[in-house]
Amino acid sequence: MISLAQSWRNECGPIPAEAGVGLRFRHHREVLEARPAAKWFEVHTENYMGGGSAPGFLGAIRRDYPLSLHGTGLSLGSAEGLDPAHLARVREVVERFDPGLVSEHLSFSVADGTYLADLLPLPMTEEALGVVCRNVTQVQDSLKRRILVENPSSYLQFRHSTIPEWEFLALVAKRTGCGILCDVNNIYVSASNHGWRASAYLEALPPAAIGEIHLAGHSVRHIGAARTIRIDDHGSRVAPGVWALYAEALERFGLVPTLIEWDTDVPPMTVLLEEATRADALIQKAGNASGRALAA
Amino acid sequence: MPAAAPSLLELQRALRASLVVHDDSGAAAHLVEGEIGAAERLDIYRNTFASVLTAALRLSYPAVHRLVGAEFFEGATRIFLEASPPAKACLDDYGETFADFLSRFEPAASLAYLPDVARLEWAVNRALHAPDAAPLDVRRLAALAEAERAQVRFAPHPSVGLVRADHPVDLIWRAVLDENDSVLSAIDPGAGPVWLLLQRRAAGIDVQPVNERAWRFTSALCAGMPLAAAFDVARDLETSALLADHLAAGLFVDFTLKEASN
Repeated sequence: MISLAQSWRNECGPIPAEAGVGLRFRHHREVLEARPAAKWFEVHTENYMGGGSAPGFLGAIRRDYPLSLHGTGLSLGSAEGLDPAHLARVREVVERFDPGLVSEHLSFSVADGTYLADLLPLPMTEEALGVVCRNVTQVQDSLKRRILVENPSSYLQFRHSTIPEWEFLALVAKRTGCGILCDVNNIYVSASNHGWRASAYLEALPPAAIGEIHLAGHSVRHIGAARTIRIDDHGSRVAPGVWALYAEALERFGLVPTLIEWDTDVPPMTVLLEEATRADALIQKAGNASGRALAA
Repeated sequence: MPAAAPSLLELQRALRASLVVHDDSGAAAHLVEGEIGAAERLDIYRNTFASVLTAALRLSYPAVHRLVGAEFFEGATRIFLEASPPAKACLDDYGETFADFLSRFEPAASLAYLPDVARLEWAVNRALHAPDAAPLDVRRLAALAEAERAQVRFAPHPSVGLVRADHPVDLIWRAVLDENDSVLSAIDPGAGPVWLLLQRRAAGIDVQPVNERAWRFTSALCAGMPLAAAFDVARDLETSALLADHLAAGLFVDFTLKEASN
């Protein structure tokens, strides 16, 4: 007898190297009723813990679309270690929905047993590298699968950091065997905020480890009269500079599943699908170019 | 003089102090400043902390939000989340003590029923997110001998909630969420206590007013009191009919014949 989980894996398991969209509550019913032409969906793991209607909707949607689970609460960078109860709940969600990909962030959200409701940047130190690697290994052992770790966006850096963020992320992947979720918008935002060269960030990441790309909108916030900072608020269309950086990423990493994320003022599904179509066109273009390169 | 490099734990505790109680004294010295100062950079994270958690409380307490208005709600939650920040990363679980906070919150004292509305909303929130569980198959009860049946201790469905309030909060809550001002203004907040039974159904959360005796009997059953003892508690009540209703409604998911071992 084939269990439900196995049949999912067979029918809509792996995430294709195409553009999917972030699924939020406002679109649950529409997705079930209208079956939009999304290639795959990604949801926030923390929104589907427990029972009731939201996990019920997701279970039904999961039967027809590949699904990726993106966590925001494990706090891979916490010096005090992971919350075992939260990890157990993540494992329950993973077991229930059998996603094609599972991802988390290179950041911390928990300090002294308090959840800080944001993805906070880590100091890029040997100590933090050791902590992240230990926590990633614990997650992968618990879930019995590889996870992807996403580069954060940030608005501050620490004086005592000694390792560039791109090297830090590559080292986490190398030491733990985890993959990398390359958030191109986050690279763009952080590079702009900290004066890094975004292309150099991409060049430092190991292509073989890249399992997924994220794209999202950001905003520019004015501080005082003359200064600005880019805020990764996922509340608008992908910016032109981020599309250009994405094309570079595809050229470097090959064809990678790509997600359109939108969390603030979530627009109609058609807008998300328009953004996904635009990403798919770039994936196709990159595929044709690499095909020509192989044939030459 | 530059500050000595902190350990990761020290740094994370310092950032917690920045975000939760707005004390930058530990974190600021460790930040690269540039054109933008440490406090301005920390403000970005502080704002996210406050706005994400305020939004989470607004989702869990929509009637409280409407009763007091957005500005008052935001002011109250800012104070609440400084004193009671979330311990868990799953925000559906955040805000259990909000009703107790409101009962001590001086500016809300004129709305005597507000903490009770919050208690009902928390029970509704618990019911919304409780784990799924299949209802008890009543044939398992039918298979028991009479003497065994007297010793049955039920396990309630995780979504079941029992709320007692000094004010008719079920009526207030419903009128507020329906935005029905004429119904709301006709409610007498002093109309006495209510006893409510909550349960998640396919169509949503059912909030059912019951009489005090039925509420006590149901509470006893949900707390795992043996059936015979619960019947004794509720002597004159139509307990058999009530129990049959509860079973038909899927109020219980399991039973044991022994005392729960904890």
